[in-house]
Amino acid sequence: MSEQQPGKTAWFDWRAVALPAATAVVLLAAWHFGVVASGSDLFPKPHEVLAGIVELLQRGLLLKYVVASLFRVTWGFGLAVLIGVPLGLLLGWFRPAFLAINPLIQALRPISPIAWIPVAILWFGIADTAPVFLIFLASVFPITTSSMAAVQNMQLVYLRAAQNFGVRGLPLFRRVIFPAALPQILTGLRIALGVAWLVVVAAEMIAVNSGLGYLIIDARNAGKRYDLVVAGMVMIGLIGLVLDGLVRRLERCDEVRWGHGRN
Amino acid sequence: MWALAWVALISVAHPVLNLGPWGGSAAAAEGKFRVGFLPVTCHLTCPVTDFINKQLVGEGLFEPVRFSGWPELKEAFLAGYTPATFLLAPMAMALREQGVPIKIVYLGHRDGSAVMVHKDSGVYRMQDLRGKRVAVPNRYSNQRLLIFRALNDAGMRADEIELVEMPPPDMPAALYARAVDAISSGEPFMGQTELDGYGRVLWLTKDVWPNFISCVLAVHEDMIRNRREVVQQLVDGIAKSGKWLDASMDHRMDAAQFVAEKYYNQHPRLLEFVLSKPPDRVKYSNLSLLRPDFEEIERLGVQAGILQGKVRFDDYADPSFVRDEGAIEPHAWPGLGRR
Amino acid sequence: MAATDVVVDVRDTWMSFAGNRPGEPIHVLERIGFQVRHGEFVCIVGPSGCGKSTLLNVLGGFIEETRGSVLVEGAPVKGPDPGRIFVFQENGVFPWLTVEQNVGFGLWQRPAAERAERVAHYVRMVGLNGFERAYPRELSGGMRQRVEIARALAAEARMLFMDEPFGALDFLTRLKMRADLVRIWQAERKTILFVTHDIEEAVQLADRVLVMTRRPATIQAEVTVDLPRPRDLDARGYLDCRDRIFALMGMDAHQSGVVVSR
Repeated sequence: MSEQQPGKTAWFDWRAVALPAATAVVLLAAWHFGVVASGSDLFPKPHEVLAGIVELLQRGLLLKYVVASLFRVTWGFGLAVLIGVPLGLLLGWFRPAFLAINPLIQALRPISPIAWIPVAILWFGIADTAPVFLIFLASVFPITTSSMAAVQNMQLVYLRAAQNFGVRGLPLFRRVIFPAALPQILTGLRIALGVAWLVVVAAEMIAVNSGLGYLIIDARNAGKRYDLVVAGMVMIGLIGLVLDGLVRRLERCDEVRWGHGRN
Repeated sequence: MWALAWVALISVAHPVLNLGPWGGSAAAAEGKFRVGFLPVTCHLTCPVTDFINKQLVGEGLFEPVRFSGWPELKEAFLAGYTPATFLLAPMAMALREQGVPIKIVYLGHRDGSAVMVHKDSGVYRMQDLRGKRVAVPNRYSNQRLLIFRALNDAGMRADEIELVEMPPPDMPAALYARAVDAISSGEPFMGQTELDGYGRVLWLTKDVWPNFISCVLAVHEDMIRNRREVVQQLVDGIAKSGKWLDASMDHRMDAAQFVAEKYYNQHPRLLEFVLSKPPDRVKYSNLSLLRPDFEEIERLGVQAGILQGKVRFDDYADPSFVRDEGAIEPHAWPGLGRR
Repeated sequence: MAATDVVVDVRDTWMSFAGNRPGEPIHVLERIGFQVRHGEFVCIVGPSGCGKSTLLNVLGGFIEETRGSVLVEGAPVKGPDPGRIFVFQENGVFPWLTVEQNVGFGLWQRPAAERAERVAHYVRMVGLNGFERAYPRELSGGMRQRVEIARALAAEARMLFMDEPFGALDFLTRLKMRADLVRIWQAERKTILFVTHDIEEAVQLADRVLVMTRRPATIQAEVTVDLPRPRDLDARGYLDCRDRIFALMGMDAHQSGVVVSR
């Protein structure tokens, strides 16, 4: 029934690997020859960045820093999900709550997490809590807003069907409103996770002593180590790619797949 | 379920991997106070003291916390996270003016800053900087006052050059890209441009403002009131480290080695370079607080518009921790013993 | 008509909505009055947008009449009721649940064994065996409507309110669904109120057809379809009945081309 294009989706699609690989090769070549042509000896060439990553691996720093950044993003983003999703559902459902709180959320949302750095230090010192707080701030507003919109955009027919069967109160939230909103919430989570990962560099500008953001700032302190600066950027990009892929896989789950366009 | 497993895994892996012996915050639990610093030579005595303490006593007496920029350093002090910190002298004085209970208890260093230009530029004296862009670390930095003093000496007005604020670690690249015409901050970022072959010294601090002070050791007044013996111990350690650094070039080379490796994460050659070429590029002796030094800073600070002249030496400084500079002996530690 | 048999009793009911301009409400229903007996299959036909769905929504408890008396099962309608299930045109099957989870949706307070038994029974009744674990997106439009009907029956609904449930289906599927609905209704003997704009559909399904006028709508006629089931679509009685309703709605079935010539 849903087997559109038989044989094409079922088998491994070589183009999904070959095409991005070709893009990467072209960009790396442009990068390499661009640096050569500019005559710069400060900006690293691709192979120097690779050597930088290998050096970080050998010193055991790469694993440490990746773990540290993932730790902060896990907690910051996790807390944002735990608070943002229920809050968004609530605001989407109860209009007085929406009227009371939505303007505040929309006013806080455009403030860059970087602007919160001084506040984060004053409130949380400089341990892991401050970066976790910044990542939380960066992700909680998109999550709340998308959850709220998901409830408001929910098809009325699901609600009526549920009410018809006498479902109300908390079970209504759990059995109907939440699952009906879930596809749009997941899309919001994917965007928010991207933002959370984006903020990790700024969040680790605070004097934590680990993490990929710290790696970049530390490499600037270290004098002429722009290879490590770019290595940090490359690692952040690669992990961001993996995270996005994971959430996209979640969007393929049966419970939410109906809400994501083509089957 | 997978999500919970992931949270558990990452929450165990992070402390295991990143909160090790040199990781830092573990010491907080043992009641040690934190001292904030930046990876610049102006703050070198902080890690040197910590390292020598560990060699002599077997453990550090305080917890050095490395920051990456002046604002974060200042904010951590204001938040009470670092009750003692190395700080720009005019910034400490300005904070006092703004009502922060901060006291300068000792100097961090003398000299150790420079103004660098691109080696291919035609700038050879202050007058050549007319209409050019000069980077300073912060509006409250003494490097900015240093530029003011050099302008005064050259008979120039402040508005004849364009001053921009820039974090010192970004300065070498900015000079390389010629985004700015001159840069000025603490070492080793000035020496780095020289070492990498595109920077040229316009002048060192000792040429314009001998015994220049960029950074001081400052503490919260509560520390002096409630834990005076701890502050005394800290100042003594810093003073002994200064004497130790200035006692022999071998000591300086040792410090370059262990500080670069364990505290600053820089290339040891860079610190070796700025600590030795020339040897009086930065000095760590005579770090007692002297009233005339600060009155000069007050005067220039008012002229630069960063101080209002409301507070005096007795308000923001407490020189009582070192009465006799001459009596200070260097640490009784022979060094790494590599030779 | 014995009074105890009457499960829907609507008298002099009016319905109007606030319009775009204040003080000028839009009148949708006027002076509506009719009765439905227990186990009866009643169709409501009328021009598009006349207010048929509004009337059904009033009966279902989703909107409230402006004035009048609407008694369902002997009491004024206070809101949706699990004993009276709505089947929606736009398909109210929950897409995040499988077929069997959807069918069992109204049974969450029953023991698991009873739930499984009822689900299996009604899945079979609507001919969806083999698709228990399928998700709605994997089903055709007709199958989704069967899920919705099974869901209503499984919850022991005494009455079904069906709002153009086959409107979005293709012609052949529609014919099949009608036949199946009649079969199920004969087996279960639920009271069904079925709104449609398709006169042929009404005549094929109903015991009685209520014909509504344009807006503001009122019931202009009741046509009793006293024909044996399954109905022969070429029989004299069927065609007469159909043509009478066409005439009531101001159309000649043959001239207006709404009837496919056979």
